[in-house]
Amino acid sequence: MWKNSSLRCLLALAILCLSLVYSQEIGSLGDPQNLKCVTHNLQEMVCTWDLSSRGRRGQTDFLCFKTKERRVEIPLPESSSRVTIKSSGTSFPTKEFMIHEKDISFVPVTPRILSLTPDFSTSTLNLKWSDNGSVFPYGLDALWQIQILRKETMEEVTKVTYYSKLTHEDVILSWNWTSDMPLECTSHYVKIRCYINATQFLGPKDWSDWSPAEVIPGKDSEPGGSGVFPLDTVVAVGSDVTFCCVHEEDQHITNMTYGSKPYKMIQLSSRSHAIRVLNASASDTSGTNVVCHLENGMDGTVVFVGYAPDIPQNLSCETSNFFIIKCTWKPGRPSGLYGERKTKYSLFERMSGKNVSCEVNEMNRDRTCGFPVLPDQKTYDFILGVSNPIGQAQSSILVDITRRVHPKTPEKLSVTGNNSTSIQMRWFINGSFAGIRLLCQIEVSSGRSEKKLVSVKSLRPYTKYQFRVRCSSADHFWKWSDWSRGLEQTTAEAPPARGPDIWRERSPSGESLKVFWKPLSISEANGKIVSHEVSCYLLETLLEYKVVPEPSNSTEIKLGKGDCVISVIAKNSAGPSPPSRITSMELPSDNVTTDQAVAMGNGINISWDSYPDMTCGYIVKWCRSSGSEPCSVDWQKFPSNATNAVIRSALFKPGVRYNFSLYGCKSTGYQLLKNVTGYMKELPPKTAPNFTVEETSSDSILVKWEDIPIEECRGFLKGYLLSFAKGEKDALKPRLSESGNPELKVNNITDLTKKSMKILDLQGKTSYQLELQAYTAGGLSPPNSLYVVTKEDSVGLIIAILIPVAVVVLLGVLASIFCYRKREWIKETFYPEIPNPENSKALQFQRNICEGNKTLKTLEMNPCTPNSVEVVETQSTAPKIEDTEMMSPAAETTVPEDGSDSEMENHVVVSYCPPIIEEEISNPPMDEPGGSSQVVYIDIQSMYQPQIKQEEEPEIDLVTTAGYKPQMQLSISALKVEGHSPVEEELDKTAGYRPQANTNAWNMGTPDSPGSVESNNENASFGSPCSINSRQFLLPPKDDEDSPKPINTGWSFTHFFQNKPND
Amino acid sequence: MAAADSPSAALRRRDLCSRGIRLAGKMRVDVIDLLDAYVERQGLDVSSLDSSVAAVEGVPLAAVERWDEQTGTQRLLENLAAYRAFRALLAQMLEEQREQLGEADAGLGRALASVLLQVSAFTYHLEELLRLESRGEGEEEEDRPAPPPRLSIFEQKLRGLGVLRELAQWAVRSARDLRQLSKPSPATGTAAGLAESP
Repeated sequence: MWKNSSLRCLLALAILCLSLVYSQEIGSLGDPQNLKCVTHNLQEMVCTWDLSSRGRRGQTDFLCFKTKERRVEIPLPESSSRVTIKSSGTSFPTKEFMIHEKDISFVPVTPRILSLTPDFSTSTLNLKWSDNGSVFPYGLDALWQIQILRKETMEEVTKVTYYSKLTHEDVILSWNWTSDMPLECTSHYVKIRCYINATQFLGPKDWSDWSPAEVIPGKDSEPGGSGVFPLDTVVAVGSDVTFCCVHEEDQHITNMTYGSKPYKMIQLSSRSHAIRVLNASASDTSGTNVVCHLENGMDGTVVFVGYAPDIPQNLSCETSNFFIIKCTWKPGRPSGLYGERKTKYSLFERMSGKNVSCEVNEMNRDRTCGFPVLPDQKTYDFILGVSNPIGQAQSSILVDITRRVHPKTPEKLSVTGNNSTSIQMRWFINGSFAGIRLLCQIEVSSGRSEKKLVSVKSLRPYTKYQFRVRCSSADHFWKWSDWSRGLEQTTAEAPPARGPDIWRERSPSGESLKVFWKPLSISEANGKIVSHEVSCYLLETLLEYKVVPEPSNSTEIKLGKGDCVISVIAKNSAGPSPPSRITSMELPSDNVTTDQAVAMGNGINISWDSYPDMTCGYIVKWCRSSGSEPCSVDWQKFPSNATNAVIRSALFKPGVRYNFSLYGCKSTGYQLLKNVTGYMKELPPKTAPNFTVEETSSDSILVKWEDIPIEECRGFLKGYLLSFAKGEKDALKPRLSESGNPELKVNNITDLTKKSMKILDLQGKTSYQLELQAYTAGGLSPPNSLYVVTKEDSVGLIIAILIPVAVVVLLGVLASIFCYRKREWIKETFYPEIPNPENSKALQFQRNICEGNKTLKTLEMNPCTPNSVEVVETQSTAPKIEDTEMMSPAAETTVPEDGSDSEMENHVVVSYCPPIIEEEISNPPMDEPGGSSQVVYIDIQSMYQPQIKQEEEPEIDLVTTAGYKPQMQLSISALKVEGHSPVEEELDKTAGYRPQANTNAWNMGTPDSPGSVESNNENASFGSPCSINSRQFLLPPKDDEDSPKPINTGWSFTHFFQNKPND
Repeated sequence: MAAADSPSAALRRRDLCSRGIRLAGKMRVDVIDLLDAYVERQGLDVSSLDSSVAAVEGVPLAAVERWDEQTGTQRLLENLAAYRAFRALLAQMLEEQREQLGEADAGLGRALASVLLQVSAFTYHLEELLRLESRGEGEEEEDRPAPPPRLSIFEQKLRGLGVLRELAQWAVRSARDLRQLSKPSPATGTAAGLAESP
């Protein structure tokens, strides 16, 4: 405003008496009134007043003095001033006003925006204006109020106050504002005004007017402008972000999505809509898509939501070669931003001012960055700067690289010199270590131990070592390098450290001496032993010299009966060992005892008395093998103060006998002191002793056995067990000891000298099983078995035969005498000259048989009525009927107790016994259910009656039919096969008999029947009871050829009797 | 097509066609897989994008009218143009993918590189076939088109989707074209005359 030309003109014309004046009307009405004075710069003021009478109102110049200059500076009045206003060239009266300081207003000139620059990528507005400080006479505090408006309707978004100091000169002020909405979304407006805080100014102070609004037009006001904004932006996790979609006027937006989620839209203008995403979460590697769906298309943008870089942690710098300083750190939380938005690192060295950009792999957890070592600089002050689109961080470290040396792995490890006890090595480490000293460690290990040595000077000869090396700074240790690759090297050979351990033995013939030596241990051999030199000296004279190549460990020297001193030297490629000497002299010994020893623990303990004259110790010698194998001599030396030894050997096996010899050493030779046999562990004998029976009697057995071979004893024999018990030879029989035989007897023979035994108190002619077992402390051997039968007792046998013979003879004599004396009675009784039937034993015999069945009354010797044949129906066969129904009591009731009681029923008058009886007697076990066995007697008179009745009354009691069935009846039944009824079948079942032949073919006649006479066929009638008893009475009164006739083809003893009278 | 194919040339053409068909089949399978991976990794909602993915600039459309009336040479030339465009576009996609994702999604980068390799191989295959036809067309690759204007990341994603979709279509069409080519034709330059359409 100060530059406004009209105001300048006004001021030029104005007459100011003092400074800023506030008018106070003191004149009359119609004169100038309402005088107001305002200053904009605290140096000049502008007064206005009204001319009420003429209605004029305006600014009038009032003059104090005249000046032709264009600019007049009038200092501010110190106090109140009187102002007279007189219009020039008029007749109006002069008006006077009193103006006080406090009546003058101070209103700064309206600020003017110099520039408003948008940054669309960051949605930031940059505002620039001048503070006009030069117009004020002194420095002042200024307040600037900036108003941001948005949309076409110019809605206020924010109003901020900016403070500044006016420094009596014009300063361009700048202010940035970041919008929460992309600037493209809609138009943004900015206005500014100011307030000068002039504390010394007493009058009222006020804000300046707002500056004209500066606008940043949005895309929605741009013809054809469209898109989704912000474009490809990066925001921090948790931010609130606004996205807008600007489209063409004729398009219609359907929805907007953030990721896959639709959001509520806010209309910014007719062409612009926005969504607001609160607290945005981290996006995927490819960002989050924001899509604006239009009716006929779509548009979108991508936003990357991530984290600002974390402060680098564990920053550490070191050098491995003094060429490059390698700094490492941990990045902390991943930013979630990749590609061109990834976190970038730079290493800045403050002392040198050198900056290095770091190429890091964002997928690695550890980050490294190299910085070149600068000449003549030991200390480095590093600042690691980290930045990404969201933020930045840094970390610093001060290092002295001479104290941060981490050498690389030593390479090219090689051996440059080698002898038997030391090795010279060389290796290479890439780097420039001239300025420092290195400390290196060499790890030395051999196959035998993992011993690590610092020095490689005290090595053993002929030993394979593995070497590896690592290094560090010697003066300021920081880190060891990695171990180098291992190197194997064998030290050179050296002569054996000592002579071999030797022993000698004379051959059984005494003509030669066998010299043994033990191989030296690896540590003693100091190389590969190639041979042994054996010499034999008698005093100083060499009797024999032999070179025995490896691997032999013994040699034989022909010595005859003489003695010598034997010397043995082991040799390898580096040289000979010191000699080992032993004399061949063996001192005589007496009372050499043989003890037994069993291993306790893992060795065989051998003890002996102290022999004071054994000045050079003791030697225990044994064979490593036993039995038939050739003796492989082994020995062990003990000092002269020892009185026992535990001999251990991995070659000792359980159950094998070893023989130890204890020798005492004197200056003149060796003397055998004692022998010891021992076992590492006793086992049961492998086999049983062989035994034989030498002698057998009726009550004793003499058994002899042999010794078990030593190899099969497998322990010290304790005795034998001889077991015996009765038993037959049977391959399947278990061992006696396992059989549990209560008669088993066991004899324990502990006297090992005893080789036979007599077993007494045995039974004669009895088989015995013998078993013999040997046993040791380890257990019983398997048994050896024998079966022996004791001899028979001949006297007893003779007595046993003679006595029964004598008794029989005696009884025979007595019976003969008795029979002779009673011969008449016997004859009368058993063989009368005229047989009396009543006395007939045979008949009695028959009756006895019949008495077996109480219902049968046979041989009732009633006066025989020749013209009648009386038949009884025997029930002796009734039990033979299988059908139980036939056994019913009813059947018994139908059979009369006495046949004479009922003539209508079965008749009981007996005239003979049917032939079947004899069959029954002669063959009682035969239970043939046939009618022949049932038929005893048949009443010829009534023989047809039952049959007829049976035909007429099929329901007749089955028992009556069971006893006998006329065979014709059966034939009838047989003829009625076609008309079988169930009843008939039942009858068939009840029938105890079936015709054995075609009954039609039978001859119905008896031998004496007319038919039979005519035919003269006796065979046809044979067996018929009818034909046997009486030829007269067997014929029925009325000859009926069609009637069935019983037929019996049997033969009976009674038949003979019956026929006899006729004869 | 050559007027009088020698037996060896016919055999060679048939062999090239059959190998090309196999290559196209393999390429389609890989492109379909890549398409799935691409859509997933780029966070694209295919259902809402179907109607919005415009044709890719510079790539002839696989679907054409009167396909059955095309000559063998026309088929080969169209194929060649398409695959050369695909080669450039895929290379650009690969570069953009490296820029945007760095080492973060190496799997997608490898798949893209693999498809690019197959497209290059198929392009070479088509060039061989065209040479066999003795036409000489297409032997020299056309001048590279001017690099497209810088696209926003969203536009890059959409363009990538469009490229892969069109490539999948082209793989099918190429197989059919080559099958058509492998059939003995009675005369040179005449349409195959088959009712088959891509």
